[in-house]
Amino acid sequence: MNIIAEQIADFLKNYAPFNQLRSDELAEIANNVRVISLEKKQTLFKINDALHDSFYVVASGVVNISVIADAEESIINKCHEGTIFGLRPFFAKNKYKMTAKAREESLVYAIPIAVFKPLLANNSEVLNFLLESFASNLPEDRSTQGNLASDGVFYTEKQSEVQFFQTLAYNTTPLLATADSTAQEVAQLMAESLKNNVIIFEKNGPIGIVTHADLASKIATGRYPVTIPVSNIMSSPVVTVLENVSLAEAQLLMLKNNVTHLCVTVDGTDKSVIKGVISEHDLIAAQASNPGVLIKEVKRSLSSNELKEIRSRLTNLIQSSIQKNIPLTHITNIASEINFAILKRAVELSILDLGSPPARYAWLSIGSQGRKEQLLLTDQDSILVFEDVPQEKYIEVKDYFLKLGKKTTATLEKIGYELCPHGHMGSNMMWCKSLTDWIKQYNNWMNAPRENQDNLSSIFFDYELVIGEQKIETAINNIVFENAYNNTLFFDFLGNDALRKNSPLSFFKKFIVEEEGIHKDKFDIKSRALMPLIDSARLFTLSHDIKGINNTYTRFKQLAIVDPKHAEIFLNCAEAYLFLTRIRTLEGLKNENSGQYINLEELSKNDREKLKNSLIPMKELEELIKDSFQLTQFS
Amino acid sequence: MLDWLKHINKEYPEFWNDYLAKFSKKSKRYVILATDATGNSTEKDVITFISAFAVEDDAILIKDSFETILLQYRFLHDNHLSNEYIIESRLLKLSEPEALKTFIEYLGNGILVGHQIQSSVAMINATLERLDCGKLRNEALDIDIMHRKLNEITDDKELSLDELTDFYKIQSTPANSTTERAYTIALLFLKLKFKLGLK
Repeated sequence: MNIIAEQIADFLKNYAPFNQLRSDELAEIANNVRVISLEKKQTLFKINDALHDSFYVVASGVVNISVIADAEESIINKCHEGTIFGLRPFFAKNKYKMTAKAREESLVYAIPIAVFKPLLANNSEVLNFLLESFASNLPEDRSTQGNLASDGVFYTEKQSEVQFFQTLAYNTTPLLATADSTAQEVAQLMAESLKNNVIIFEKNGPIGIVTHADLASKIATGRYPVTIPVSNIMSSPVVTVLENVSLAEAQLLMLKNNVTHLCVTVDGTDKSVIKGVISEHDLIAAQASNPGVLIKEVKRSLSSNELKEIRSRLTNLIQSSIQKNIPLTHITNIASEINFAILKRAVELSILDLGSPPARYAWLSIGSQGRKEQLLLTDQDSILVFEDVPQEKYIEVKDYFLKLGKKTTATLEKIGYELCPHGHMGSNMMWCKSLTDWIKQYNNWMNAPRENQDNLSSIFFDYELVIGEQKIETAINNIVFENAYNNTLFFDFLGNDALRKNSPLSFFKKFIVEEEGIHKDKFDIKSRALMPLIDSARLFTLSHDIKGINNTYTRFKQLAIVDPKHAEIFLNCAEAYLFLTRIRTLEGLKNENSGQYINLEELSKNDREKLKNSLIPMKELEELIKDSFQLTQFS
Repeated sequence: MLDWLKHINKEYPEFWNDYLAKFSKKSKRYVILATDATGNSTEKDVITFISAFAVEDDAILIKDSFETILLQYRFLHDNHLSNEYIIESRLLKLSEPEALKTFIEYLGNGILVGHQIQSSVAMINATLERLDCGKLRNEALDIDIMHRKLNEITDDKELSLDELTDFYKIQSTPANSTTERAYTIALLFLKLKFKLGLK
């Protein structure tokens, strides 16, 4: 062992779990360490990388562990000196679920798993330490572990974040009894109201709780007579919490105190007024409306009614998430995942009815669904592409898919997605075609937009596979990008399309509102603010040849990276887009519609100013479009 | 220049032939070398300490290292020096021919990296000649030169190892022993390699 290995061993000795190893074991590890130097922002491993054959300890510097959801990078953990990370290869065989990136110049020691594993067999404490840290799925839990950056299950699913901020619905009218009532009276009270707990109170707050468990262990066993005052058998003191406790907190408190009930009081102490009681059951119920569960239920549901029910729970989830200031990008991600699951299930249900399809196909969502931006119930847009079949079979195949389209759109309508007023749906003869026909269609649109103006809509250029053959989507993707390359005519069309929308602000920086109709004096946020942003984002991504990103927010983010010269404009637009979506979603939730028209009077002054400010970057974006594309042919 | 002519009929020791055979393949392994010698003269002075770490895939392999003291009885005797402290230490001690032989076996066809590597190489070559071997065939990189290339420094002022570590803000104990020096050079090399985009 040379002096460097000795130094490494000395370093490791200070940190768990190495402090539990014998010095010869430590020497063995130190001897096999590989030293890696990371520059600022250098990545050690990233999401979906194949697992390395070692795990890591930070020797100096700081390494950030993060998950990336689309273009958003959220840091989960900052690993300082002595922190262990990258334990995944110990326990799992799949890929990394997170990214490790140096925040500053750092040194890390890579310890080969092959060397470390044999030691685990002899050191159960070390094994437990690693297992616990890996399996812990509460963020609070982990902070107590000190120097270990878990990459366990919890953060691997971004939806869980919502869950942990979720507040609880609980019993706000708990059963109450005074300390001098008898056990029998209390049991009677519980039996009558079918509750399993009673809070025992005095004049200045709760002093204890009696649950089924207490009755079972203390009365039913015969240890105490039923006539005994309840104060003798109650569990005391009762654990009290504040009113707006989150799911995670409640879970944690129960685990920590090893209790099944929490008493809610006004100020969270046992010296104030009782507001309610949270039971384990409430926690389970709260978890039932978490996104993961919703998706599972979607997959199992068998009728449009069930799907409709799930969709309405999703709306609740969106609403509560927005109120809790969870980043809109996260909410959109979750909502669109669930939306997609619903769409997919709707198609599957139709297939269950009609029998398996006679040819391979792809059901693509277009428009807002294709961009994965649907928060509220908006209309459905979709196209159906099926593979080329021999001439004699064509009629039969097309017939099947038309039926499939009709059935699915009908199901979706029942769930609550309105039919597209322009008929942009897979059930429409025009938008249910073979691959060759679609390729022809896209070629026509893109090479001669003028002739095809009547049926060309920009929403056809935002598509996302719902169910079916991935290859078909890829084929269409290729055709679009092939045609888009240097196609000034087409960009000209899209550019004009983007700019045609009426400007949101008047010359005097006043909102332009609807002048007549049922939405008189309301601001049309969809067509005056959101659409131009969406259209421009699409135009720029197509012209920059950016593939596979459909979401407007992510598009702007990506554009800022690709085109650093105008990064500021793009980033401003991305922010503006988020804010506008937020306003629209809130409005939609309030009125239970698509939120297209905003009642400006009802907005707070602050929000109104913010809304106005977020419309300003659009002006710059407009200029940029005019500069980048010659918009002569269609104007 | 006509070196090879001089040696053309010479019988090399077996380990040297093995070493030469390794060069049929190109190596991805870097060997970070630090040596200690009694002075700068290739004629009069001798190597007393060789330390090396291997770098592969941008990582320093602690296990793949080399560390040995050369027992220079003759030199010490000739110069009336004591060798007590060497005898006391618990490091691997080998005689000059033995040490060189194991080092050459360890080095193989790896790419040498060092600080003022040319003087180390010259020293080793001189020693090798005493053992009836040829000169080192390995490619050699100098971190000082790498540093100058990276920063486009044109003056000829050579930087000491300490100045380099300060420049790249490498935290390490002041490199007292040869091994620590080799390790520090290795850290510097990793940084420079990344910055220069060497594959």
